[in-house]
Amino acid sequence: MFVDFFYILRDSGIPVSPTSFLRLHQALAEGLVSNLDDFYIAARTLLVKSERFFDIYDRVFAHFFKGAELPDFKGVELEAAALELLNEWLKHPEALANALGMSKEKLQSMKPEELLKYFMDRLKEQTGEHHGGSKWIGTGGTSPVGHSGYHPGGMRVGGVSMNKSAVKVAMDRRYRDYSIDTPLTQAQMGEALKRLRRMVPEGPRDQVNVEETIRATTRNAGEIEIVFDRSLRDRLKIILMIDNGGWSMDPYIEVVQTLFNYARAQFKDVKSFYFHNTIYDYVWEDPPRRYKGQRVVDFASWDKDTRLVIVGDASMAPYELMATDGSIHIEERSGLPSIDRLHLLSKLFAHSAWLNPTPKRIWPMTRTIGVVASVFPMFELTLDGLERAVTHLMSKN
Amino acid sequence: MSRENATVFSGASRYVLDEELAKIVNISMALEMPLLLKGEPGTGKTMLAHAIAESLSMPLLVLNVKSSLKLIEALYQYDTLTRLNDSRFGDSSREVSNIEEYIRMGKIGQAFVSDIKTVLLIDEIDKADTDFQDDMLDVLDQMEFDIMEIDKTVKARTRPVIIITSNAKKDLSDPFLGRCNFHHIAFPDQDMMRRILNVHFPSVDQELLDICVRTFYKIREFQGIEKRPATRELINWVRALRADPDFRPKDLLQGKIPFLGILFKKSSDYHQATQQTRRLRI
Repeated sequence: MFVDFFYILRDSGIPVSPTSFLRLHQALAEGLVSNLDDFYIAARTLLVKSERFFDIYDRVFAHFFKGAELPDFKGVELEAAALELLNEWLKHPEALANALGMSKEKLQSMKPEELLKYFMDRLKEQTGEHHGGSKWIGTGGTSPVGHSGYHPGGMRVGGVSMNKSAVKVAMDRRYRDYSIDTPLTQAQMGEALKRLRRMVPEGPRDQVNVEETIRATTRNAGEIEIVFDRSLRDRLKIILMIDNGGWSMDPYIEVVQTLFNYARAQFKDVKSFYFHNTIYDYVWEDPPRRYKGQRVVDFASWDKDTRLVIVGDASMAPYELMATDGSIHIEERSGLPSIDRLHLLSKLFAHSAWLNPTPKRIWPMTRTIGVVASVFPMFELTLDGLERAVTHLMSKN
Repeated sequence: MSRENATVFSGASRYVLDEELAKIVNISMALEMPLLLKGEPGTGKTMLAHAIAESLSMPLLVLNVKSSLKLIEALYQYDTLTRLNDSRFGDSSREVSNIEEYIRMGKIGQAFVSDIKTVLLIDEIDKADTDFQDDMLDVLDQMEFDIMEIDKTVKARTRPVIIITSNAKKDLSDPFLGRCNFHHIAFPDQDMMRRILNVHFPSVDQELLDICVRTFYKIREFQGIEKRPATRELINWVRALRADPDFRPKDLLQGKIPFLGILFKKSSDYHQATQQTRRLRI
């Protein structure tokens, strides 16, 4: 009975276990379900174990029992799909087309929202891959959306930057030279791990050690002497935020991740998020920073004792940090400058540190490093810096 | 739903129960499975257990989970210190050589040895680590545990009604979820909230109630708040407003919100809220 229902649920991505399906039959057999409404509730409470799947369940249920059309759950939202499609496309950029259609003034006057709409509209019209021209989206041309187009205030939708006027993207790669010698390498992993091991909190001496107490008491001729041990403290939770934007960061991402993965056992939880240059409304759980966003304001409900470790070169154009619409990515512009978000994070997590892979001697040359360092205590991503970061993270206040 | 079942739950005096949740509770009781409740703080997860206990007149046992809690403490405790003390001074009525006299039942243990059926509330399970969670469900599955010190097995006389709550955003482990029924309580919508308030304030002026609820839902949307006010705060706030002789409901419409401290209990939240109420227009 309802075996099809079970399989449709599974195919739609809800992890339904056979045991729970049998339990549903037990409920049916015991006469706990007398009508469809009961069945809806009973099947959901028994089969679906997370509210994230409730919506899918509803739609599958409607499809199965009311004949409603079953949506394709594998499909993503149109906008995400559009970005994805375009990104794929732009991996093979051709030489810039010379065609000019829209005037520079007109392009400049368009607002980000208009650009996005323009982009979506074009995308709906477009049926074939396209390079150049002034209306369609492709890898060249002057359409304000798309990539490598010449647009003074345009937004960027992926691909490698080519045209200088895409000012934000140019900033991504400005510090490539700094990455020649990697401060922390795979070879130093063992040493670095030793330093991380110190991140274990100690509780007060408030637990009676029974065996030691008995021993001490007998040695004391029966006069009770109680021996206390340090009580175990809960292990630390770690949030790791990694700048995986420009390739200046590439050599360090793996090192840092491997490091914390090796050390995972001693932490209660290690969560990694990604961002590009600096943090706006969202950080992302997936390295391409596209699908699983985590709102920065929602960190308010996380455990305050979590240690926040941010890894990034903190090098960017000053306005990316200060301007209200500094984000390269249009969907993250909420009107708050990034610096506000950084301040919020530093307030939410009392214990935080910023690890910077660029050598300390060149920090004064980049203004944004100074600004970020005034928000988060900044340490070099070297063995020495790591050691001091750990000391800082473990200090009481 | 089997109506002949004597223990069917249909709400309590101060708890507004929606029909869906009532059915879920009844199914879980009939199948004798723990019910896992998730949802924002203040959606009445904990209150549900109290309501079940009240309406079915069963004793309620609450196990407040802490991160340092070990499973054995939830089952029983061997009070070595008292025994040591008794053996040294010998002025108690307890028999020192009988270890059983120094075994005290934890909350789960109490639920097992109780002569009548109990409601066992395991509150905020997400605070404990995964091992605790899985081991605990093993015990609850088998309905028995061993007391190592006296080599005795405690078997449950009656199977308690088990309600487990979790605030966690992330899911619990798969084996854990597999052994529970699941329900997510959404934050009550405005209509539901009015009904809840009406239960708590039977004689309240409906206009006041309406303005309070609308203001409250606006306030909940403030940015950067760590602990958003929930039902409990709203009830206390309405109580305070009614007790204040100077309060006029129209003040709320103009963004003058008294007693913000009842709604926002963290000083940083309070600060944020005072700033943002200045811009508030209902």
